[in-house]
Amino acid sequence: MNDTAIRLRGVTKGFAGHLAVRDLSLDVPRGSVFGLLGPNGAGKTTTLRMVMNVLGPDSGTIEILGQPADHAARDRIGYMPEERGLYPRMVLEEQLLFMAEIKGTSRREARARIPGWLQRLGLADWGRKKVNELSKGMQQKAQFIATVLHEPEVLILDEPMSGLDPVGMDTMRGVLLDLKRQGTTLVLSSHQMETVERLCDRVALINRGEKILDGLVSDVKKQHGTNTLVVAFDGDGAFLASLPEVARVTDFGRYVEVKMRDGADAQAILRQAALRLRVSRFEIVEPSLHDIFVARVTEHGSGPSSPAGVSAP
Amino acid sequence: MSRLWPIVRREYLERVRSKAFIVATVLGPILTGGLMIMPILMAGQVGKPLRVAVLDASGTLGPRVEAALTLRKRDGRPRFIVEPAGPGPYEARERALKDAVLAGGLDGYLELPASAVEKASASYYGKNVSNVIDLQTLQDTVSETLTGLRLSGAGFDPGRVRELTKRLDLKTIRLTAGGEREDHGASAIFSIILMMMLYTTVLMWGQAVLTGVIEEKANRVVEVIVSAIPSVNLLAGKLLGVGAAGLTQFLVWALSLALVSLAGAGFAAAGGARMPEVTPLLLVSFVLYFLLGYLLYSSLFAAVGASVNTTQEAQSLAFPVFMPLVVGVMFFPMVLQSPDSTLSTVLSLIPFLTPLLMFLRITVLTPPLWQIGLSLVLTGATILAVLWVAARIYRVGILMYGKRPTFPEILRWINHAN
Repeated sequence: MNDTAIRLRGVTKGFAGHLAVRDLSLDVPRGSVFGLLGPNGAGKTTTLRMVMNVLGPDSGTIEILGQPADHAARDRIGYMPEERGLYPRMVLEEQLLFMAEIKGTSRREARARIPGWLQRLGLADWGRKKVNELSKGMQQKAQFIATVLHEPEVLILDEPMSGLDPVGMDTMRGVLLDLKRQGTTLVLSSHQMETVERLCDRVALINRGEKILDGLVSDVKKQHGTNTLVVAFDGDGAFLASLPEVARVTDFGRYVEVKMRDGADAQAILRQAALRLRVSRFEIVEPSLHDIFVARVTEHGSGPSSPAGVSAP
Repeated sequence: MSRLWPIVRREYLERVRSKAFIVATVLGPILTGGLMIMPILMAGQVGKPLRVAVLDASGTLGPRVEAALTLRKRDGRPRFIVEPAGPGPYEARERALKDAVLAGGLDGYLELPASAVEKASASYYGKNVSNVIDLQTLQDTVSETLTGLRLSGAGFDPGRVRELTKRLDLKTIRLTAGGEREDHGASAIFSIILMMMLYTTVLMWGQAVLTGVIEEKANRVVEVIVSAIPSVNLLAGKLLGVGAAGLTQFLVWALSLALVSLAGAGFAAAGGARMPEVTPLLLVSFVLYFLLGYLLYSSLFAAVGASVNTTQEAQSLAFPVFMPLVVGVMFFPMVLQSPDSTLSTVLSLIPFLTPLLMFLRITVLTPPLWQIGLSLVLTGATILAVLWVAARIYRVGILMYGKRPTFPEILRWINHAN
């Protein structure tokens, strides 16, 4: 039994004169919830398309569940691209049957599974409706059902939460956690750090086609130290960024996240802040994934690796 | 195979369930049947007789012409009702007739000058002078009467002369391997109708593939599908599914054509009119050349659809693709005129023209079997080559968004598609 769901080794892919993905190696362990992060144009979609064998890599190898990423393994993966794709004039149930069928599930089996999923995601009354009669959030859920109907062992979801209202997000999160409990490996590609932070146990960060960070979420956070402060206050906090102890300030509106320089003393910052502001909260915290993301991407240099027009971001 | 079937079925059902399909499939035969039967029905239709008067300046011709007009019949019914020109001097009668025509009491009047017999001239005054058939009949009648008078004046017997100068009735008989049969004037029109149907349907179903590919790309469904099955399955399934819908329509049409021609034959025989003959070879080649034309052009259309983002963008690229079809239509009068000339033969063997022109030749004569066979082989081989190229363009193109690719870029896709 192979315990790696997806294994990439030295994968490189170029489009017309530039590299979208360069020398990428990744391991997604079975049963994990894996977050694939990166700014727009970093090469995430290209990577996922190669995993799904929609594109072939220029060099390197990709294995799915211990097999080369050929057609046999494809039926055991579910893939929801960021750009949703359903036939607008097709009746929802027929659409779902069709999607399950092209994944090798018999119509009978798929038909038996559909009502349960529609129920679960609150679409029970919509099965006979055409897709273009559904709201955006409903279409999003429909797309999800189309992705899981063939009961894949590995589920790759590009921005699974986009377009959902808070209730929908909770439902989706519940469904994803259930799937995880049943042993499904989940790969989430997302910009919503909150979602990733709550669900994922592992993350990889890609920038300009290169992996710049990879590991357990807890390890990644530990690596980035406990040199982060959360400060809430009344008054003008702009001076905080110019304190010698402070490396960077991220403003979240109601509070700021302050990244300290190595070896800096939090107490010194607190004293300065107390002098000039009404401080209502001062906390030493683990850095958020958001902060780590921004820090690492800025360090590595921004700018898309794939210019618009050559491939979707 | 199991991963092709769902695509084929989806495409087929989507087309067959559409209102446009149902309308076209049902209306097609009705229109064609109508076009074939209408002339026969119309032949039996005779309009109201023309109410005319004769304004005679010679004083002697009038009664003879009036009698001839009154006697003139078509399909057993009189064509003219001759009204008296009234009393009084010439000018008064002329004014009265003019007024009657303008008031609608009369359709028109014929003016015979005193020199009518010698100069063979007369004038017709009417509100409507574009009723060609009626006026032709009028002219013939008056002409015959005047000729008769001239002949008797020269001492001949008009009846005898008419018998001796009988017009030739030329029957055209078409020789085929199956035997000879009398040819019909309707044949050329029938051939053109069938060829235009081929042209329209090949274009229509090719366009259906084109818009289908563009929609899938715009909806991003394509990425979901090619993550499940190879893109070539999607392309093949689409071509087969849409083609099956087209074939369904064609079979309905071919069947109704056969029925109409059977029913029409009896009908036409009873009415003494002529009906185009529909042979099994004609029906089979109608369906076969549709399939060839469809496969050839729709695979090109699929490649075009994959290379663009919107229907508007597709227009400029689609034109060169269906140009040969238009060229084929442009050549049809020439091929119809001399279907067995070397030029017609060569043109009908060019794969992109074959579906229209070889079919057209089959409708007017039976080309040698080797020519039909060769056209099938050449077109078949071209279809395979075009499919190969189209599949490569399709495979890369469906995942490309943004700027429309240039021609060199498309060539690069064909060279190394991965």
